[in-house]
Amino acid sequence: MRRVVVTGIGMVTPLGATAAETASSFASGRAAAKSRLSDLEGTPLEASAAAVLPPFDPAARLQSRKMLKYMSGSALLGCIAAREAVESSGVKSRCRAERIGLFAGTGLAAADIGEVRRLIEGSTGENGSFSMRRFGENGLASTNPLISFHILANMPACLVSIMEGLKGPNYIFTPWEGQTGAALSEAVKAVASGEADAAVAGASDTPAHPAAFLHLWQAGLLGPGEFPASSAAYLVLEPEGSAPRSLGIVKEIRLGRGAKQRDPLADRMGRTFASAPAIYAALSCLAGLKASEISGCDGLSVMVDIEAAS
Amino acid sequence: MNRVAITGFGVVSPVGSGRESFFRAMAEGRPGIAPISRFDASPLEVRLAGEVKDMPRIPEHAAAAAEEDPKVGFAYAAFEEAMKAAGIRRLSGGTILHLGTSLEIFDLAKIVAGGKAGLAGVSRPRGAGRPFQIPLDTASRIIRGAFGEPAWAYTNCSACAAGAQAIGHGFREVREGRAEAAVCGGFDSMINPLGVGGFQLLGALTTDNQRGAHACRPFDEDRSGTVLGEGAACFVLEPLDKAEAAGKEILAEICGYGSSLDAHGLSAPDPGGDGAIRAMKAALEDAGIGPSAIGHINTHGTGTRLNDEIEAAAIRAVFPGFESIPVAATKSMTGHLIGAAGAVELGACLLPLVLGVLPPNISLDRIAQGCDLMHVTEPGRRFDGEYALSNSFGFGGQNAALILRRRDGG
Repeated sequence: MRRVVVTGIGMVTPLGATAAETASSFASGRAAAKSRLSDLEGTPLEASAAAVLPPFDPAARLQSRKMLKYMSGSALLGCIAAREAVESSGVKSRCRAERIGLFAGTGLAAADIGEVRRLIEGSTGENGSFSMRRFGENGLASTNPLISFHILANMPACLVSIMEGLKGPNYIFTPWEGQTGAALSEAVKAVASGEADAAVAGASDTPAHPAAFLHLWQAGLLGPGEFPASSAAYLVLEPEGSAPRSLGIVKEIRLGRGAKQRDPLADRMGRTFASAPAIYAALSCLAGLKASEISGCDGLSVMVDIEAAS
Repeated sequence: MNRVAITGFGVVSPVGSGRESFFRAMAEGRPGIAPISRFDASPLEVRLAGEVKDMPRIPEHAAAAAEEDPKVGFAYAAFEEAMKAAGIRRLSGGTILHLGTSLEIFDLAKIVAGGKAGLAGVSRPRGAGRPFQIPLDTASRIIRGAFGEPAWAYTNCSACAAGAQAIGHGFREVREGRAEAAVCGGFDSMINPLGVGGFQLLGALTTDNQRGAHACRPFDEDRSGTVLGEGAACFVLEPLDKAEAAGKEILAEICGYGSSLDAHGLSAPDPGGDGAIRAMKAALEDAGIGPSAIGHINTHGTGTRLNDEIEAAAIRAVFPGFESIPVAATKSMTGHLIGAAGAVELGACLLPLVLGVLPPNISLDRIAQGCDLMHVTEPGRRFDGEYALSNSFGFGGQNAALILRRRDGG
């Protein structure tokens, strides 16, 4: 089995719109900015805040305006992080697309709240409740015809494959932290065994979406003082020695079950849920984080042990 | 490396639930597509689906979850049948659980309060009742609650390839000795207003409602889109030598898996069929066999204009002897089970390998241009080949192929 190294990293987090910005903010001790969500007015969460992402221009980052309409918020963040990881690694100059795998985690579905509102308002009958007749006659026509693509759980990762031209072996898992751990683990296996020459691995999640935030709160998945943070992180993994630079050496990605532990990044960044293991892996390379177990809200955990390259 | 045996199979499908009922319906070519009864679909352009009509009895706690999200109940019932067939009572630390599915349920009716759309309508005190959004790992959590914790539980969301990917992964884990056993499969139901309405908006579903049970017409000249189905299938995979030593019934061996990405479009497959071709070739390579060994193919065969023609071309490209390989398109009976499709269709591949009967494409009257293959259209056709391959191609361009080997294949 070949040793696996990290050759590219991309991130969009509340601490920065790029991997370098996130790492720099993290190293300087900065914490995420937070804000209340207007869509949660009238709910028990109206006084609660979620992490805020720094400003960025999606079309400029992706060099495409056309594809944006297909993307949910999670897909958009994932595509931006994956683009940064792939470009910074230079992997496409070394590997054929058919030999680059994609291994990803995605979070709770989160369609654009405006689209959902249009759909519901167009489907509300005279008595003020949901009307199947109005849904068929008016509601569907009122919303984005691509709404299913914004809800299908594999789409945030499939859009990464389309945007980056990745054609190799693949798995997409959902919706919590441990499942992204599984994605990282499968990516390492694919590269170590030679099934793939490289793997793009990571996750995106938008728990700060108002519906997801409400779900997480109602299900009791946010601990005291915790706040949700939308984010994405992707890494490019290759066999040691195949790329001119290595950002870190993968020592172990171990899946397990264990007692729930607090997300080690949550205090500063917010709870990033499905993205957490990928962010942790990225910051292990860029900010020297030590091996740590990340517990998922489903009791499944992942130990991420990546040693930063000297 | 272990040879991997299928020692348990459980299924819930529009044509029948439970292995015997499913095999009988598949052999007879019994249709499972009918007008939607789950909700009033009369205002929609799409009014047909393959609904599960004979849901097995499941425990109260699973039934309660299934009331909110039917696919959770399907998963539970298929899992329970597979475990029982394999003689396994509890999940253990050496076993993995891997289930594939596709789309979260959103109860739209709950997001309206006082005539206004908004999240205030679904706000309830913390912990009071079920949330309006049901995460895709719900079935896994309920199964683990009832049957114990495995070494690890995966929830795969690779759309129409999810079930096949889950089984392919379970196969690899057992073959490589990383797991003592794998319980894996797929489950899904999108037969709800948002599921059907959303796919109607995408233009993926047929509106040819007057065709009724024969509206899903894979490879037919008059095909006009797919029909949604629902259900689940689960498999127990164990090392062949251990299963033999334990005297277990072995339905077939699973011996090859391949996956690929199109990197082309969200709903339209790569027009050259490149991704499908690579998935099938990867599965053949993984199984260590050549294309001439394959005796039967269960196609993805959705009944959409694009998929069927591209898949037929891909099969012809991979299998030079395609004219003598009988192919099935079981979505003609079940409809498209999305995240469950790959698992239920692998179950359909067991029929020729276990009982020697091929499932027919019951809605193929005139083979469409570009769809030439050796289609099986009549029920009861016999099969004595050694290997069968099942294709699954997902929205978003995820492709998976699995290969089964007859139990007495040597």
